[in-house]
This record gives sequence, structure tokens and C-alpha cells, in this order.
Amino acid sequence: MKKLVQILFFVFIFFSCDKEEYEPLVFENPEIDLIIPDNFPDLNNSFYGNIPTKYGVELGEKLFSEKRLSIDNTISCASCHIKTNVFSDHNKIAVGVEERLGIRNVPPIQNLAFLQFYNWDGNKLQLENQPLVPIITFEEMDSSILEVIGKIETYEEYLDLFYKAFGDKEITPDRIYKSIAQFEYTLISANSKYDKVMRNEGEVFTENEAKGYQVFKDKCATCHSTELFTDQSFRNIGFPVNPSTDEAGRARVTGLAEDAYRFRVPSLRNVEYTAPYGSFGQFATLKEVLDYLDNGVLESDNLDVILKENNNRIPLTEKEKENLIFFLKALSDNNFIN
Amino acid sequence: MKNIKKYLLLSLISLGIISCSEDSIPVANDVTLEFNNTFGSETIILGDATSVEATVNTSTSGQAHYFSELKYVISNISLIDEDDNEFLYHVNDLDNGATVVNQAKTETLQFLLSDIPTANYTQIKFGLGVKTALNTLDEVSFPNFYAAAGANDTAMHWEWGTGYRFTKIEGFYGDDNAELSIHTGSTVEGEEGSYTQGVDAYREIILDLPVTANVGSASPKIVIKADFDALLSGQTNTIELGEGNAAPSIHHAGNMVLFVDNIGGNGDTDVTGMFSVESVQN
Repeated sequence: MKKLVQILFFVFIFFSCDKEEYEPLVFENPEIDLIIPDNFPDLNNSFYGNIPTKYGVELGEKLFSEKRLSIDNTISCASCHIKTNVFSDHNKIAVGVEERLGIRNVPPIQNLAFLQFYNWDGNKLQLENQPLVPIITFEEMDSSILEVIGKIETYEEYLDLFYKAFGDKEITPDRIYKSIAQFEYTLISANSKYDKVMRNEGEVFTENEAKGYQVFKDKCATCHSTELFTDQSFRNIGFPVNPSTDEAGRARVTGLAEDAYRFRVPSLRNVEYTAPYGSFGQFATLKEVLDYLDNGVLESDNLDVILKENNNRIPLTEKEKENLIFFLKALSDNNFIN
Repeated sequence: MKNIKKYLLLSLISLGIISCSEDSIPVANDVTLEFNNTFGSETIILGDATSVEATVNTSTSGQAHYFSELKYVISNISLIDEDDNEFLYHVNDLDNGATVVNQAKTETLQFLLSDIPTANYTQIKFGLGVKTALNTLDEVSFPNFYAAAGANDTAMHWEWGTGYRFTKIEGFYGDDNAELSIHTGSTVEGEEGSYTQGVDAYREIILDLPVTANVGSASPKIVIKADFDALLSGQTNTIELGEGNAAPSIHHAGNMVLFVDNIGGNGDTDVTGMFSVESVQN
């Protein structure tokens, strides 16, 4: 794929030269040379329709931090998706303009190019379809896309970036969505200690980490599978239930009773930095999550079969929990958050 | 100056004569759709938690209920004439072809269809909600409908689904006046006909007119009754609000279809849902 893209790029340049020699070179916006980890799952198909470019990403990053996206110019995407927290925050549930509360925990933004479902309930399948949601949601930014365009189109630096990214200065909703998605596609985390151990780059697990890795493989890896540490399935694991009447888990989208309070299995990469945990921040620490799973979860008809087969528990000794947490911290990618 | 006046008068007169002498039927005229939201035969009066005036309905399963808020979107309207020609009314243009009916705002209970070709119409079709292709909260293409639906006192944006709310019903039910809150909307992803996930809450309604609506010299009014008794006691589902059957508060796709099928029909054997044509006034 990469090769093909490179070839197309050259073809394009040749064409441009042939055609209009005296026009400025249109295609000065090269694709970003993303390092795609070999062992990661397939990219989401929509990535290929919106491959990150130098200026697309630059524009997206600028928009990501743009407070004018909100009605009162007080919050940007980056206000809740804070880099040092793996682009999430430490609140239990999201806080929008005027301190309005959402219903769920802010999801981290990492390795999204490899996800097939976005958000806790997987209601979006293409990243480009997501940015509008926080912009217009009352509890988030409470603005509208025309309001946003009206604000940013007065800034020469934006017009310049839209020109560089898309070939002319027109600011359209699609271009806003695409550039933000491009920026997010570049947020790839694959450089944790775990990765270095697996790639034989000279690092080795400590004894605790190695034991924790074994516990992980025995008791966690069915759901937190693949190198993303999520199988991207939706499961009800009997966590305390969100009292919001807007919440139904995956059933919010599908309408199916069997999907009630099922949520997308979250990645465990950088999990050290994304507390609190659970779809509405039910647990303050990783230890609390493990204690809860060990003590027993809530019964329900559609409780995940793995839990059902184990008396609604994932039994863990204190030592196992300790080692597991050591291992989970080995999934932290400090370069990614700094 | 005097001359000019004379000429003006003359041309006015001649214009008058021409119009009179033509005595023709215009090629098009207006049709007014009027929505009468009822429980049975009684037009609904909204009321808050302490209201004594609100129209109270009792469901088949014996639950009393009344509404404090009642809104729904009508779009994709077409009229079919006696020769089976279908006239599509701005079906791909929400700004001109869609409206939010809001029981609290009298002016929204009528929707004027302008420039309807002269013919005798026998049937009306419309959508309850917004068809998937247009259900994207596209503010650039349809700024007026986007603004009207999103106004603070209307609140018909379903933000998380990046679509419109198709119905929004708030109210109270049961002996202890518990809150009732039913929102419907689509959560589908993908192209119509091959959705990859989600629930399509859009319903197409087809109603025969009891007498033909004669558009031409006249501009008829079609009064459409929406009998919200069907919400809990519909052709498709008998719903008892509460745990174990249907949650009294539906802000998502779970259980939503029960209500959608009742008021909008199941799209198969029932294409009228709660709607009927009360009268046609030519």
C-alpha cells in the first residue's frame, strides 16, 4: 500500500510538471511517513480515504487545540483529550462548556487508525464522522459547524493551512473533520517497554512484570487480545451500571437487548495514565478494577460468558494483582505522552 | 405626470381584462397540511407535573399517561393524484420539505405546501422522521431546518447519533406520576439498504384521502390526525411502561423500536401507524 501511494505521488508530480509548468507546484503536501507497527491489526478502511498529509495533520492538530470550536471559546478537543493522559483526562465523566457533565468517561486517543469501532458503544465506524459530535453536543462544546467556520475563517493562518492541506482556502465541514481525523491517525503508540521486549531491543521484563505477563495471558488476554490489547468486541462484564437514562451501552446503537450495557473492550496500552477506569469512571485505580473483578461482578442475563463460567469473577490473588499491575505499567509509552 | 397615470390606469385595466377573460385554473396552488394530535378523538392538551388540564389517556394495559412535550418531524412528503402520478415535495430538501410539528406551538401544527400542480389528489405519503440519506445534521445544506430543529425550545438534534430526533415526547404516567421520556431517532451506519449497524427509526406513512384534494382553483387543507393512543397501545405492540417491559425513559435504540412501530407503523403490514386523514377541505 505504502509503495503504491509513493508511486502515485511521483506520478502526480510528473503530471503536474507536464501540465502547467509556470503554475506553482500544487502537490507540495506530502503524505506523512507513518510507522505502522508490523504486528498491529489492519487499518480502518477509512484511513485509506484520508491518508495523513503534512499540512492536513498540521491543520488537524491546530484545530484539535482550537477553543473556538466551543460556543464560548473556552474548550477545545485538547481540553479533555490531554496528551499527558493519553489524550484523555482524570474526570470520571466528561466536562464540557459551563461545567456541563456528559454521561461517559473521556476515551483516550491512541492507535485509532487500527480501530473498527469508535466510542464506548461503537456508534461511529469512521473517525471522520466523529468530530462533529462534540462540537454540537450541548454537554460538550454546544456550538455548530457553521459557527466554527465563521470564527476561524477570519484568521489568515487557517486560510493558509486549508490552502496548503487541500489546495484552496475554502473551509468546509468535511475538511475540518478530515484534518482532525488525520491528526488522530498519526497518534500511534507502540513504543512501550513491552514492545521493546517483544522486538528484542535489549530490554527485559523484571521478575514482577514477567509474572504479571503470565497472569495477563492466563486471565485477561481473551478480551484484551492482539497487539492493541483489545479484541474490539463489545462485552458486559458486570461493572456498576451508569444511572443515566441515556446509557444503554452497545444497545444504545443496536437496540438489541443482548447488547445492553455492553461496552467496547478498551485497549490496555498506556492504561497507567488513563484513570479513572470504566465507562463512567467507576474505579479510581487499576487495583480497584482488579479487586472488583476478583470479588465478583453484577449478574445479568447477558453477562459475558467467560465471567458466567467463573461464578461471575476473575479470581486473582493479591500477589497476582500486584504483578499484573507491574505488567500493565510496562505497556506505558512515555514517548507518546511527552 | 397625468399621462403617466393614464397609461398606468389603462394598463391596469387591460391586465384585469386579460386575467378575467382567461378565466383559467392556475397550474398550481397551495395545500395546507394540518396536524391534529390527539388521544382518540380528543385533541391533546399538554400539561406539566401538576397540571389539571392536561389530556390524560389510559393505555390498553391500564396505565394513565399524559404529555408535557410532544414533537415530531415530518419530511419526504408526496401527493399522488387520481392518475397515479406522484408529486414529490422537496423530498431532498429539508429546508423546504420538512418540518417539526410541536404541539406547544400552534403555528407548527400547519405546514404549507406551495406550488402543488393542479390535480385531484387521492393519497398522501410522508415520512415520520428523516430518511437516512438526509439524516446527517448537515448545517451547510439545510441551515434553516438545522436551526429550527436545534432551537433550544425544540431540541430535535440527536447529537451523538449525528442525526435528528424523529420524535420527542415528555410526560408522566402511572399512579405516582412518574416521568415518561421517549425520544426516537436512527442510529444506522452505512448506505440505505445495506446498513452495517444500528436501527432505522424512519417510517414512511401512506394515507388514502377520504375525498380527493382538488388542487387548482382551490387550495385544499388536509387534516391529518396523529392519535398518540397508539404510542402505548398500537397495532404492533402493547407496551406497559416500567421495568421488565419497556423502560419509561428511552433516549437510545434499546426498546425504541417498540414505540417507533406503534406510532410510525412497522413499515410492512402497517404503513399508517398512528396517522389517519381526518378531513380534506377543498
